[in-house]
Formats: sequence, structure tokens, C-alpha cells
Amino acid sequence: MSEITLYNHDLDENCYRVRLMLSFLGIAHEIVAIDMVPGHEEKGPAMRALNPLGSLPILKDGDLVLYGTQAILAHLSRAHNAAGVWLPLEPATFSRVMQWTFFSATALACAIEARRVAVFGTAGDLEALTREARQALRIMDDHMVLRHIEGFEWFAADTPTIADLSLLPSFALSRDYGIDHDEFPALRRWLRRFRILPGFRTMPGIPDYH
Amino acid sequence: MSSEAAWVPVALSASIEPGTSAGAVVEGAELVVWRDAKGVAHVWEDRCPHRGMRMSFGFVRGDHIACLYHGWSYDTAGQCRHIPAHPDLDVPKTIKIATYAVEEAGGVIWTRLATAAQAADPLPTMGTNLPVRSLYADCSAAHALAILKQTQLPVGKDETYPARLQVVTPHAWTLEAGALSLSIAVQVIGPQKIGLHILADEGSVDLIAALARWAQALRLALEAPVTVAEVA
Ligand code: FES
Repeated sequence: MSEITLYNHDLDENCYRVRLMLSFLGIAHEIVAIDMVPGHEEKGPAMRALNPLGSLPILKDGDLVLYGTQAILAHLSRAHNAAGVWLPLEPATFSRVMQWTFFSATALACAIEARRVAVFGTAGDLEALTREARQALRIMDDHMVLRHIEGFEWFAADTPTIADLSLLPSFALSRDYGIDHDEFPALRRWLRRFRILPGFRTMPGIPDYH
Repeated sequence: MSSEAAWVPVALSASIEPGTSAGAVVEGAELVVWRDAKGVAHVWEDRCPHRGMRMSFGFVRGDHIACLYHGWSYDTAGQCRHIPAHPDLDVPKTIKIATYAVEEAGGVIWTRLATAAQAADPLPTMGTNLPVRSLYADCSAAHALAILKQTQLPVGKDETYPARLQVVTPHAWTLEAGALSLSIAVQVIGPQKIGLHILADEGSVDLIAALARWAQALRLALEAPVTVAEVA
């Protein structure tokens, strides 16, 4: 039995964020499939004992049990990568990484919610969520326009960080909730560069070019 | 409404890298814009003849673009060449995607949604080729024109200057302020949706970041609710 266990649902984009991180860092792990749709297993007593919020993903690393996608990404990138390339500690860079990583959990919460409504049929106002998600994606595109002009390809550093990783699925999966990529040329460019990083993997909804 | 013989912009050249594709809508018509490995840009109807999947979701391999659904692959003339489920089939000539004329000039990909028989308007010349950005906004082209008539452009550090607007064609506008020349290739997506592909003259390379910020602020102005006073 390996040290690390991910409680996972294949179609959940937050689980995908963690799977991506594990893949980029080449960390051996075990996956426990949770019947999130339609079973809501993550909300049952056994799973709530691990995460009282009743949500996925959950990561077990030895005795440590972590929930909250961004916290898991931060943990993996510092605890399982000696160089810590995905979460650099140089102060100005670290702060920028934090800003955009939190953006994925706050401003993009509507995008995650919109996809749940569209893909899983969860209750919610898809139109309002999509409108809000489009505003968040515009802010990201505006940022990457300026980054590109300044000669950078990534959100917060000159290399990819957990900021890029946590933001990317909301854009890569945006067609799932009805937002096309046409209006976001700077994000298209960023997505293309992210896709060719060694260790990148897709999930249903993100085309695998065969 | 533009005449069918008119050249309309669909993207900044720099935004369509070799081997990539993107969707673009012109007055409701869905198009795929893609660039083959040799660097040649193509604009087609955005629909796979097989089951209607958007070709802009597909992927470019060399000088072919393949559909995401079942991998049907098309050559640069829009002709289907390969069907993975029937690899030995000599693909019928009738399986073809409608293609449109393409010209690249001044850092913009232009297309013409007309049949070859119609005489083409000349390509608009704007005299700039440094890409600033493409800006998408929910408003009409007429509204954008009204707002741009009163815009101030950044011309130096913390310095702005009132711009002179000129309409070269309905799809090509220029703005001048001091030594700065800006061009805007105007893509009408729908009645209340436009894409502005913005370029600057080569002498203004140090202003590109300021111009990108100006464009960001412009979108706020373009989408701000129109007050009654303005309408009257
Ligand atoms: S829809 Fe394009 S190959 Fe089937």
C-alpha cells in the first residue's frame, strides 16, 4: 500500500487538479473511486469523517488527511518535490502564486459550479453562473495578454506553478458549461503551452488529440 | 450589414500559431480559423460534414485538420482524405467543407464570405503590424465607433492624447494621437457583439503594454450602460 491515497471521482474537475499535480510530480499513489454521481458517497458518514465538508478531493498522506483542492496542491508541491518548483518561495513570486491560486477557489467558484449544473444536473442558475464565469475568464485573459507582452507564458512566474495548474481546468473545460474559447486568445496560447508539459494528462471534456 | 464581397477580420495573425485552430463568428456565421504546419492560414465553415461537430474543436496535423469526434481528416482544400473507421476507403469527393478566401495583411487574418465569382473589394491597408490584442465586447460596431470618437490614447508615461478616428472601411478603423498610429480591424460577431483586433505602428513598441491596458478600459466603456442623456 502506497503512502498516498486520493479519494477521487474521474469527472470531478477538482479531483482532476490533484491528479494533474500527482502526474506532473510523478508521485506514486493509490486511487479510491468515490461514487459522487449519482451516489453522493462523499456526503456519507464514512467520507465526512475524513472531510466534514462532504466534498472531493481528499488526500491521505501517511497520517495526514487533507481536503481543499488548493491546500492539497500546496502540500504536494512542497512535501514531494525537493526543489518546490510548482510553489516557489521567493516572496514576490510566492505572493503572486497565492493570489492566482486563491482566484481559482474564489472568482472561479462560479465556473466550477456552472460545470456541475451543466454536466451533473445539480440545481443552480446556469445562465447567471456562466455570466459570472465569463467575467472571471476575461480577467484571466487580460492578465495573460499583459504577461505575454512582458515576455512570460505563465500566470505568476517564469515557469508553471500551482497558480496555472489550479486555474487551467476551468478554462480547458469551459465548453462543458457553454463558454467557447473564441474570445480568449491569450488563454488559448497558455493552454497549448500547458498541454505539452511533461506529465500532462487529460480528463473527459478535455480533448485528447489522437 | 457588410457586403459579401468585403474583407472581414477573424483574428490577429499572431493569435493563430502554426498547427492550431480556433473558432470565430462573423455576423452569426460560425467559422474555423486554422494554420497548417507550413504557416498558411485557412478559414472554413466550422462544421464537419460527418455529424456536424465544430472543426474548431479539432486538431491540426501537418497540412490536415482532423475532426475531434471520429477523426475524419481534411486537406487544405477542405476535401476529406481519411476516415479512420474505414482506412482503405477512397473518400468520395463530395465529402468536403466549404472554404473561404483568406488574406493575411498587416498582422490580421482577413476572410471574405463570398463565392469566388463575386468581385472582391480591395484589402484594407492600415499601415500598422504590431499586435496589441484582440478585444471582445458586448456592443454594436456603431456604439464602438461613437465611443472611439472621444477616446484618449496613451502616448507616453502617464500621458494621454485625444485620438483622431478615421473609418477606412466598415471593418478597418485607424486612430492617431501624436506619433502613435493604431489600427482596429473590426469583426462583427452579432448585433451586440464585436471583436476589435488592435495593432500599433512599429515605432510604438514601448507603448504596447499601455495600449493593452487602454483596450481593457475601453471594454468597460463599451459595455457601460448607455445613459438616457446620451441616447437623447
Ligand atoms: S463529426 Fe466529424 S468525424 Fe464525425
